[in-house]
Amino acid sequence: MNTMIKVARYHLLTPVMLLGLPWACLAAVFAWNVVRGGDHFRSGLVVLFGMFFVTGLQRVGRWLPFGLALGATRRSFYAGTALLGVSMSLVSGLVMAGLQAIERATGGWGLSITFFRVPYVLNGPWYATWLTSFVGLSALFVYGMWYGIVNRRWGTLGLIAFIAVQVLVAFAVKIAYSQADVGPLRLRPAGQYPATLSALGLTGVIAALTVVCLVGGHATIRRVTV
Amino acid sequence: MTPAISVTGLTRRYPDHVALDDMHLSIGNQTITGLLGRNGAGKTTLLRILAGQEFPSSGSVQVLGAPPAENQDVLCRLVLVREDQVFPDLQGYPDFKVSQALRAASIFYPRWDADLASSLLKDFGLRAGKAIRRLSRGQRSALGITIGLAARAEVTLFDEPYAGLDAVARQIFYDRLLAEYADFPRTVLLSTHLIDEAAGLFENVVVIDRGRVVLDTAADGLRGTVTAVSGPVLAVNSFTQGRPVWERRGLGSQASVVIVGQIPPEDRDRARSLGLDLTPLSLQQLVVRASAGPAGTGSPTMRTSA
Repeated sequence: MNTMIKVARYHLLTPVMLLGLPWACLAAVFAWNVVRGGDHFRSGLVVLFGMFFVTGLQRVGRWLPFGLALGATRRSFYAGTALLGVSMSLVSGLVMAGLQAIERATGGWGLSITFFRVPYVLNGPWYATWLTSFVGLSALFVYGMWYGIVNRRWGTLGLIAFIAVQVLVAFAVKIAYSQADVGPLRLRPAGQYPATLSALGLTGVIAALTVVCLVGGHATIRRVTV
Repeated sequence: MTPAISVTGLTRRYPDHVALDDMHLSIGNQTITGLLGRNGAGKTTLLRILAGQEFPSSGSVQVLGAPPAENQDVLCRLVLVREDQVFPDLQGYPDFKVSQALRAASIFYPRWDADLASSLLKDFGLRAGKAIRRLSRGQRSALGITIGLAARAEVTLFDEPYAGLDAVARQIFYDRLLAEYADFPRTVLLSTHLIDEAAGLFENVVVIDRGRVVLDTAADGLRGTVTAVSGPVLAVNSFTQGRPVWERRGLGSQASVVIVGQIPPEDRDRARSLGLDLTPLSLQQLVVRASAGPAGTGSPTMRTSA
């Protein structure tokens, strides 16, 4: 535990890049949306989630070699970095819930903007928004870490193989559900949401995928060399 | 007494070559050992395995009495300074700075000495606020040395720590290393190509070649024990008869033979009377011979007790 905290402190040596950059990017998109005066970029929140993915990826790709040189083990580096990502997600989720409440109260920032409200996924009570965004941001951070670990262990070819395997798994899952045509995750034509799965249910699915990413990343980092 | 570093039957295979080949090595506590050898001999691979950054294919490695790989108790008492260390120096804002690298080290090493780090930066003329990706090769080396010394880790591994450093900076490193070692004794393993320059630091010398230890001895015991005897063939042969010969070269009527062992004063007088030159081999010459070995016969192996 002690070394996990040390790893987290190591990452926090660049707080602006770690904590500020994702929100700065989101702020830029939001400002652009405001300047345009309306709902021109309703998917702006994607930027924050994308930045969490990139941050997770970079935190392994660029910070692992020096971390190991300073005496951290792979396990403690992984656990400390994941702990930091989850903590950041927890706080960021709370901030998003707050911004969503402000957006609702001000009628979309006075411009009828629905930037922090995403239909079906992030449009419920504040605690649901907090939980869903916390889980989603954690998932992207941990997923990014796994990419970084794969890249460090097997290089670009490994990364391509990793992506190819995921595409194959996604196709297999899609075919399996199409064949079965039953169950709560039954896929619908593009543009429709899985009607049988609530937003919180979807959060649960993402949480399960986060655990898969955590386990996969941990298994992959065990033999990484620097 | 448990050695600080113990390696038994260590092998590291890669798809295209064998970096370490059934290596056996033991390094005592609180010594300064030179790890010498040609490029590609396996020095860096050995140091990476000792620091838990690489995994062996087979064999056993113990550092401070336990395997280092994924062992937090060992790794927090060990530091490896690498010539090719990758820092978190991303392109873009904000750059990772020298001061941040030192703060990172201070987080991980319980015996970190911030005053020593500041003093070393001053000696090396390195600004704490400078971005690491803007450092020259020599300045990066200076940063690595600063971290390696200020960490005051029980086991300090230096892999070509002064690449790009000028002669003045290298002398600073030697002086500070010895001063630190005197104040806070630790086990230092230093790989270098500047062998004669650093020879005075070493208590022990380990030479590796093609993944094997070919020389493992106390440095004091080595000085003056290997001598090149040159002169007329007949006189050289007469003088070297019955002595352990390491290398023999001939050119026409002249010969040069490298013999192992101390030469007593009366034998030196005899050599002089025979018109022979006795030239003690420098550490660098020893390493060159130990690494190169007689053509086509592989490296010779010489071990003496430390």
